[in-house]
Amino acid sequence: MTPEPTFATKDVASVFARQTLLDRDLVRQADGPREVVRLLPWLNVVTLGGRSIIDRGAGTVKPVVEELRAAMSEHRMLVLTGPGVRARHVLGVGLDLGLPTGVLASLMATEASQNGHLIAALLADEGVSYLSHQSVALQLAVHLSASRAAVSNGFPPYGIYEFPPPVGKIPPHRTDAGAFLLADAYGARNTVYVKDVDGVYTSDPATADGGKPELLRRVGAAELLAMDIETLPIDLIVLELMATAKHINDIQIVNGLTPGNITRALSGEHVGTIIHAARSPSEDPGGAGRPARGDASRG
Amino acid sequence: MDDAADTGALQSLLMDRSLSDPEVLAMSGTAPDYPILPDVSVLKIGGQSVIDRGRAAVYPIVEELAEIKQSHPILIGTGAGTRARHAYAIATGLGLPTGVLTDIGAAVSGQNASMLGHLMARYGVPVVSESAFAAVALYLAQCGAAIFPGMPPYDMWQHVPAEGVIPPYRTDAGCFLVAEVFGARQMIYVKDEDGLYTANPKTDESAALIPEITVDELIERDLQDLVIERPVLELLSRARHIRSVQVINGLRPGLISRALRGEHVGTIITAA
Repeated sequence: MTPEPTFATKDVASVFARQTLLDRDLVRQADGPREVVRLLPWLNVVTLGGRSIIDRGAGTVKPVVEELRAAMSEHRMLVLTGPGVRARHVLGVGLDLGLPTGVLASLMATEASQNGHLIAALLADEGVSYLSHQSVALQLAVHLSASRAAVSNGFPPYGIYEFPPPVGKIPPHRTDAGAFLLADAYGARNTVYVKDVDGVYTSDPATADGGKPELLRRVGAAELLAMDIETLPIDLIVLELMATAKHINDIQIVNGLTPGNITRALSGEHVGTIIHAARSPSEDPGGAGRPARGDASRG
Repeated sequence: MDDAADTGALQSLLMDRSLSDPEVLAMSGTAPDYPILPDVSVLKIGGQSVIDRGRAAVYPIVEELAEIKQSHPILIGTGAGTRARHAYAIATGLGLPTGVLTDIGAAVSGQNASMLGHLMARYGVPVVSESAFAAVALYLAQCGAAIFPGMPPYDMWQHVPAEGVIPPYRTDAGCFLVAEVFGARQMIYVKDEDGLYTANPKTDESAALIPEITVDELIERDLQDLVIERPVLELLSRARHIRSVQVINGLRPGLISRALRGEHVGTIITAA
């Protein structure tokens, strides 16, 4: 007879066994600086704005879709969609009903998903399908091997697990953040945000008093955060996420209303605003004196 | 929002402005907070600290939960534990990204939920996944408890830590966010220590128990090790419903029930 076991943990031996995973030094010893694998180094993540592109209807969406169709042969793409004005409506109703941030996030994400269905339907004849979050997380490789592109929901699958934001109740992880986190996890080659402006301006052209708004061609994420510009075409949280990203050193915001911009950005051309992760211009490898992302031969 | 005029003002701001607009953010904060399950408490049962210890630790807790759920409805989240640590160690060595580790960790907390579910089946307690949360109110009304895997479903969309690749938001955070979204009565972490210490009591004899502390004090102390995931502190400071959490020792019989009744039996961490 073996004695009754006492309170003894049955461990699987590993460098992290018995750790809280919260002791910084212990974790650092085993999970220190190391090259993280780029799972899909040929992936292009293209995000279509909900309000800025899809809500504009056929006149805007059709040319954008045709541009994606033409670019597919050269670039393998995951197209992500934002939710647009319907999400604003459901957000308003949900807030009024007293619902919490996590529920609001689920409601808004539904609209982004519906916009994804619209875009995928228009490209179905090319073999493009709408993928659920689950498929994107587990089967993106096979889908993009079977087809040159796929479409999914730009919102991350946070749902009821959305974080309470620092101020108010609006879900902080929306399309821009979802696309960025996913692109970084896969080690994507290009992360392009398609909006209805040429990029980031020093002030909102609509409200600028005095000085003429200036288009920032290339700017650091931290620098841009510090500029405290009231209206940005990209969610602020992306600029914060860029600080810890493993792979994505820059993102580009392009004007999808200008034909050819998406294609050119996918080829590595600088057509809008590039936001980079370097903390200072001197750390920016794509900065002054070097043509930005001009090397289209990669991937 | 007190009246229809405010509702209209917010709706029109939401239609016209950026969702990062400071006025929009501030106004969204004036909306009412409707607690969805205000009588329910969320418990997190530790993976490494409790479930990995086997029946010596788990059976008494199952008995205690079966009894207390009759008077105190509970949502029971599960931690991951030693298998997740093993998988993280392998995956880290392979250079895999945080998103892949998150998926693996979720599977382990799912196994623990499944095991606890089988032990509690005779008391009518179901295991639910995220998609089944819609029916959780019914389960709670029927039998007073439901079990869920504690890992949040962030998968390939998990935040990346400043150093390394270990997922920063794990089961402590997942359970906290479930408590917050449902506007639960309280959030209790069931671990194998009497609460939060000044250092890891398992490795440092000089560690002293801290019975009560605020998030700000805790951040200021900048402890080398911590009994609860660090990101939970920030979530707690921003939460609208859950304004404190309690960390208790599940190896001491009776403490879960006492904590559920509102007693202070471990460490209480408050938002402010």
